[in-house]
Amino acid sequence: MTAVSEGAANARELSYAEAIREALDIALAEDERVIVMGEDIGVYGGAFQVTGDLVHKYGEDRIMDTPISELGGAGVAVGAALCGLRPIYEFQFSDFATLAMEQIANQAAKLRFMLGGAVSVPVVMRFPAGSGTGAAAQHSQSLEAWFGHVPGLKVVQPSTPEDAKGMLLAAIADPDPVMIFEHKILYKTKGPVPEGFYTCPIGKAAVRRDGSDLTIVATSIMVHKALDAAKTLADEGIDTEVIDLRSVRPMDRETVLDSLRKTGRLICVYEGVKTLGVGAEVSAMVAESDAFDYLDAPIVRLGGAECPIPYNPELEKAAVPQVDDILAAARDLCRGRI
Amino acid sequence: MPKVDMDMERGTIAAWHVAPGAKVEKDAPLFDIETDKAAMEVESPAEGYLHHILAAEGAEVAIGSPVAWIYAEGEPVGNPPQAPADATEKSAGESALPIENGWTHAETPAQDAPGRFRATPAARRLAAIQGIDLSAVAGSGPRGRVQKRDVEALGETRTSTPSKLTLAPTPETAPAAAPPLLPRLAEDSLVLIHGFGADAASWTGFRRHLPRAVGTTAIELPGHGRTESVEISDFADLARWVCAKFDALGIQNAHLVGHSLGGALALAIADARPRAVSALTLLSPAGLGPHIDASVVGGIAAASRPESLAPWLKMLVADPDAISWSYVQSAAAGRKDPATRTAQQRLAEALFPDGVQAFDLAPALQRVACPTRIVWGRQDKIIPWQHALSAPGHVALHLFPHLGHLPHVEDPASIATLFAAPANHSAGQQPAR
Repeated sequence: MTAVSEGAANARELSYAEAIREALDIALAEDERVIVMGEDIGVYGGAFQVTGDLVHKYGEDRIMDTPISELGGAGVAVGAALCGLRPIYEFQFSDFATLAMEQIANQAAKLRFMLGGAVSVPVVMRFPAGSGTGAAAQHSQSLEAWFGHVPGLKVVQPSTPEDAKGMLLAAIADPDPVMIFEHKILYKTKGPVPEGFYTCPIGKAAVRRDGSDLTIVATSIMVHKALDAAKTLADEGIDTEVIDLRSVRPMDRETVLDSLRKTGRLICVYEGVKTLGVGAEVSAMVAESDAFDYLDAPIVRLGGAECPIPYNPELEKAAVPQVDDILAAARDLCRGRI
Repeated sequence: MPKVDMDMERGTIAAWHVAPGAKVEKDAPLFDIETDKAAMEVESPAEGYLHHILAAEGAEVAIGSPVAWIYAEGEPVGNPPQAPADATEKSAGESALPIENGWTHAETPAQDAPGRFRATPAARRLAAIQGIDLSAVAGSGPRGRVQKRDVEALGETRTSTPSKLTLAPTPETAPAAAPPLLPRLAEDSLVLIHGFGADAASWTGFRRHLPRAVGTTAIELPGHGRTESVEISDFADLARWVCAKFDALGIQNAHLVGHSLGGALALAIADARPRAVSALTLLSPAGLGPHIDASVVGGIAAASRPESLAPWLKMLVADPDAISWSYVQSAAAGRKDPATRTAQQRLAEALFPDGVQAFDLAPALQRVACPTRIVWGRQDKIIPWQHALSAPGHVALHLFPHLGHLPHVEDPASIATLFAAPANHSAGQQPAR
């Protein structure tokens, strides 16, 4: 298995959803153990049209519509993985993971350990996550931190089409359960995607922009907001490094710590609820490390508000960090106000 | 000024119950306040002596502002702090922080306890490296917090400590076009200085074992490797030459690593450039005592062929079998040029006349304030490892029983381990496969 470096010559523009579909297509074509499961992923093409017309190419035995029971669907996927298949189970909304938590946290994550390594559970679960669609409290959450708290799971949040494809292919090849959180607003964003098979490493962050004054560690859609903010900040003389964390578990400590040793200032920005979220782990990781000695200001976390995502569009925006929030925090940090 | 009423924003001191300089018991009546609605007696929060009454009777003060200071028994009384700003002036000008952002906390105008000071971890780290007393630094950060740039500014104005070797003053760095918004620092680059008769290539194996994040730069001595020879009259002359090379690198925070003669030179640089050197590692260093096996030094300098070089190289290590024939050949290849050999022989005579280390860096070792360690193989046949025992208490000693004069060549993995970052406590993240 080889990784293709970014900016490969054979890349073309694809949307994030198309990149995922291409990864599924490659895996289905190359490995007959691969099956795709989920609600309305067959002829309907998926709640966010990710599977599209794959059912017509691979048939209903491999692109399986499952009943409206996340517990049942996830349970079948975990069982199939135990029996040697490589199932990819799609949730319509990540919020419904609550219904399948027994299969994810108590079965998929535990069996390798409880059976002394005699089995592994090579299941992939895909979770459309995040706010911005006006779908309100029960269809807009960012729950990656819940899963990041469970040893035995791998949890990733690709932010670009290239990573969406490469991390899905890496997840399918991985012998252990991998949870992929895909931000719904990203599905239609476009970017270069290399052709053919390649993987992006799970557990490795990506430096999206080099800088020397300030480190922003961002996840998922916040990577793009951080990059927008970094452009504005550059005009103001603040040179910002933007790190795309990509993987919540395992988390890439060294990339974050190396950056912080250089800049001395850290903002963590993530859409999940601020308290006990991914940024809390990043902050604690810094505070526990030798890189603590390089901090020249307090760490700032920008996370989701301490409330369910509201329906009102203005409140929905206010409930998650926006570019202006990042700008304000960066200016205060670098101008010595906090 | 405590908040004693729900709607209270400011209060008026009605009366003081304790005179300036007088003793007050904890919980004893201290002063009375009047608000729009009520009058109230405030008890002393601590036992001590009352000083610096900032709010006289009749003065109106915003809640949270200090009104006076209580000093502990025997505590020196400082200068009177600033009186609380008039609330009407203050509210318009600076409400220091936009609280509505949600990520900043409402500022409590807390006063630091006397003797404590605010400083960021980066400022504390830099101050420790430079030997600066942080309590004497004026902080430019929020609430007087000392920032890294404050320590850097102080380090720049501080005159360097006089050193035994009179070296050229630190060259002035070209003034930047505009002061940078945020000062930068190249962190902890390793600067490697090889020993007599070696060259920069002698660090290859050691470099390979270093953690990837550690950057290295090697300084090559004159008349060694690819560096042209220059006329050197004595050790101080050579130290001046090497120090100029070091200055030219422009590294602000170097960890100097020197082997043998290079160790003595690293020590001389650290002594002359205390602000530019953050740490010092000396591998079997010269300069800490008079003894040296001059026959080996002279033998290496004179050797023109692999056959005459091999016996001397085998003297350098604890296990002679570690010196392979191909190693000898490659070492001899670098010595083909008779000019190189002549230059090294003259250098050996200048540095080690009559077979003695004619330079003494023990006083410099006493003066060095940065973290310093000495690494030595106990089977060193060139310079006795016991020279390490003259080191002052703050210098760490690493004495390897199985190594000779070339610890970084004989066991690069063990030596490189000394440079590893502290263990990552959470390395167990990767699930079992």
